[in-house]
Amino acid sequence: MLVKLLNTLLMIVVALSITGVINRTRALLAGRKGIRFMQHIYNVRLQLRKGAVYSPTTSLLFRVAPCVYLGAALMAFLFIPVADLYPLLSFNGDIILVAYLLALSRVALILAAMDTGSSFEGMGASREALYGALVEPALMMAMATLALFCGYSSFAQIFETAQELDMNLTVVLLLVSYVFVIIMFIEAGRVPVDDPRTHLELTMIHEVMCLDYSGIDLAMIHIAGWLKNATIAMIAANAISVVFCFHWQFAAPLAIFGTGIAIGIVESLRARNKLSRNTTYILTIVAMSALVLLTGFLLMQNIDI
Amino acid sequence: MYSYVLLAATALIVAIFLTPQRHKVWTATGIIATAAGGALWLAVRTFLEGEIVIARFTTSLFGEESLVADPLTSLFLAIISVAGIATVIYSRGYVESYLKRYSPAHISLHYTALMLLVVSMMLVVLSSGGFSFLFSWELMTIASFILILFEAERQDVRRAALNYLVMMHIGFMFLVIGFVMLYNATGSANFDAIELYFKQNAPLPLFVILFIGFGMKAGLFPMHIWLPEAHPAAPSHVSAIMSGVMIKTGVYGIVRLMQAIDQNTELLYTIGLIVLLSGIITGLWGVILAAVQNDIKRLLAYSSIENVGVILIGLGIAAVGHAAGSALIGMCGMCGALLHIVNHSLFKTMLFFSAGNIYSKMHTTAMSQMGGLAKQMPITAILALFATVAICALPPLNGFISELLMYIGMFNGVSDGHEVLYSVAAIISLSLIGGVVVLAFTKLYGVVFLGSPRSTHVVECSEVDNFRIGAMVIPATFILFIGLFPHIAVLPISEVAVAVTGGERAIAIDFFTPTLHTLSYVSWALLVVITLLYVAKVRAQRNRKIEEGATWGCGFTAPNTRMQYTGESFSEGLENIAKSLTKNTVDGRSVDKSEIFPTKHNYDIRHKDKVDSLLGRWWVELMHRLNEYVMRLRTGRVNSYITFALVFLVVVLLLTIFGVI
Repeated sequence: MLVKLLNTLLMIVVALSITGVINRTRALLAGRKGIRFMQHIYNVRLQLRKGAVYSPTTSLLFRVAPCVYLGAALMAFLFIPVADLYPLLSFNGDIILVAYLLALSRVALILAAMDTGSSFEGMGASREALYGALVEPALMMAMATLALFCGYSSFAQIFETAQELDMNLTVVLLLVSYVFVIIMFIEAGRVPVDDPRTHLELTMIHEVMCLDYSGIDLAMIHIAGWLKNATIAMIAANAISVVFCFHWQFAAPLAIFGTGIAIGIVESLRARNKLSRNTTYILTIVAMSALVLLTGFLLMQNIDI
Repeated sequence: MYSYVLLAATALIVAIFLTPQRHKVWTATGIIATAAGGALWLAVRTFLEGEIVIARFTTSLFGEESLVADPLTSLFLAIISVAGIATVIYSRGYVESYLKRYSPAHISLHYTALMLLVVSMMLVVLSSGGFSFLFSWELMTIASFILILFEAERQDVRRAALNYLVMMHIGFMFLVIGFVMLYNATGSANFDAIELYFKQNAPLPLFVILFIGFGMKAGLFPMHIWLPEAHPAAPSHVSAIMSGVMIKTGVYGIVRLMQAIDQNTELLYTIGLIVLLSGIITGLWGVILAAVQNDIKRLLAYSSIENVGVILIGLGIAAVGHAAGSALIGMCGMCGALLHIVNHSLFKTMLFFSAGNIYSKMHTTAMSQMGGLAKQMPITAILALFATVAICALPPLNGFISELLMYIGMFNGVSDGHEVLYSVAAIISLSLIGGVVVLAFTKLYGVVFLGSPRSTHVVECSEVDNFRIGAMVIPATFILFIGLFPHIAVLPISEVAVAVTGGERAIAIDFFTPTLHTLSYVSWALLVVITLLYVAKVRAQRNRKIEEGATWGCGFTAPNTRMQYTGESFSEGLENIAKSLTKNTVDGRSVDKSEIFPTKHNYDIRHKDKVDSLLGRWWVELMHRLNEYVMRLRTGRVNSYITFALVFLVVVLLLTIFGVI
């Protein structure tokens, strides 16, 4: 039980700090003083205290959607172990549930965006639905690669047994974590797929879908975003931890700093893709995850023989 | 015995015809409810006691045959009964507006056909094979043909119905050939004889012939083209029962075939691959075509094709896993597929019912006319949302449970090293299907129910009557039950799977129950968390300033409803990728990029299936070409016709001289 609590606590720390690390990295690289590490949390606290504005076009769905978004992200979040610790929830097959909970949160936000009747939000919803559809196979295959190596289909068991994994798989595991990081870019709406800082609604994806949210609703969406980030970042970090036999003491900082700095650097150094290039970009990741899985499979066969 | 059955059937039909116009529905409801009650009772008894033989009789064509209820039959009987009752209750509201327009004979014919459809589907799953099976199969086709023809004054309806009838009879021909082959080789045309046939003869030809025959009904690629034509033409409750249940009789046939091959590992492997491959192609094709449709019922029809594909993926994985010696994969795949059959019959019925609610108020199924219907039809909207979440296979509803079972099978295939490549292929396609389904149904729901109205008709809509709502609540209850108590719902399913694959019951108990039990807690927890968050939000907002303000137009001061995203634009990104699958017909003209101040444009795009033109239309094309040649002879001048006559006479003369004629 203590282990589970520690695990959840660490995950919360990861969720709260990744955005901070990204902001600090970006500020450092741009040579700015930048905002405080905790600024995003203060912002959300402020939003939690505010009232709200709702459009008369919207229906009840618009008000429930943030709760579904946050609820689904929270449930997915609770399934993720920190390296060899044990998560709060776990059962055989939970890797599928996590993927589908993320899909549920996506559906909630897409429908809420469609509910506003705005052309811009429809645009964001349409893009999110397409990218979500394309990224799903990549996510599943990356998870299948892990399942292939460890012989289990629940996160807790995978990363528990993964500690004694053969070193021959190092490259493949590094590639798996790379795929997870890219999936995180896509799911979180980060450069190069989407730019959360853009001021032009026409080019937005994730940000444009919450244009009409304010107050508590917006805060919920932000919190859910952190949780989703932490979920995927932790899986990526776990895959790397397996390579270097890291335990939770290292895995948690790795999730925070590894992914945070990676996103910060990418956002500072490269521009967002042209929107029409995004599908190609995502399909490349899908192809890559298929390749990783195949390589992993061939390596496993070699070891067996 | 025949005469009694015939007499009873005639009496029931006469009863429907004699009832006054307004009450015909209740006679039909009575009959269907009785049949459904009997079927359910039979199903429960079969689960408790095992196989039950209802009747044995001798047919002139294929010899001794019987009506037998076994676990697989019971599962289908349950689906047919539930969907049958929901459909007939729904029809009370749907047909009401037609009562004045149509003659009593027309309405009676409709209800007779509905009754016949339900009964014939029950007979299809009860028949042990041969003549009685083919007879009920044909009865089912004809009953559904009459049902599609409800609005027979519309030309597109007549065309779709004829198309359906022709396609079904091509399939039927294959089935007849298959059963005759079976009878010739083994002396019996029962399903039991297939096993014997496969042992003695080359199995693949018979399998392929029967697979095509069943696949035509199930809507397998490339035999799916009748579905998107028939469903928009049929009344919604008919689409519901056809799509939710009738196409599953094709799947039933395929499961029966697999059951017969169960012992022959090598053959099971080959057939598993065929089934898996056709499932993958059908699923992907169906879902991509569904996502680009702009007509509610066409979208739902393609989604039915996709779901049949998903079911076949499950069956294929089950067969491959079973053949490779992994009982766990076999059980997971089979249970997933069987549960998906049940699930699809529930949410697809609901979705077609909601389409019917919309059609009866809007008098169109074109999405581009809708928008914001959630305000006018709140209960329909909530129920449709329910079905949408279920069909997207999202937790905590039932669609997720069946896909989870299939995924567990596949992931076990990957992690245990059994058939890794096939499992991976199935995982990729199932996840891609899952992703695109989300796109298709967020499009459907978002464009139809959410946002602001795209035409003035929307404002005149109102909620439908309680019968239709009640009919939708029936499947909704089951959806919720399966989603929230999966460990209970899977018990009868695993019982059926054990009977079909000869699998081990222990797997179901040791593996499914703990997994699904945890999942049940998680589903409840998810619901509780969402409710708590919502309650907390509402409580926190109670004393705060909640304002109303127009949707943010991004600085534009005069936004109007026509600037909303349409269904077409929503799926544009996917269309660009999947361009090669569709053949688009465009009426009017889109706004050119160089037009800075666009004038009024008409733009109507339809995404037709490419297979449609490849398979269904080539002979029409051929006829057109031939006609063109013949038309050259029709010059319209008398002198040329006289020349033709002269040429003809000369040719005949020459032929006679040379002794050809």
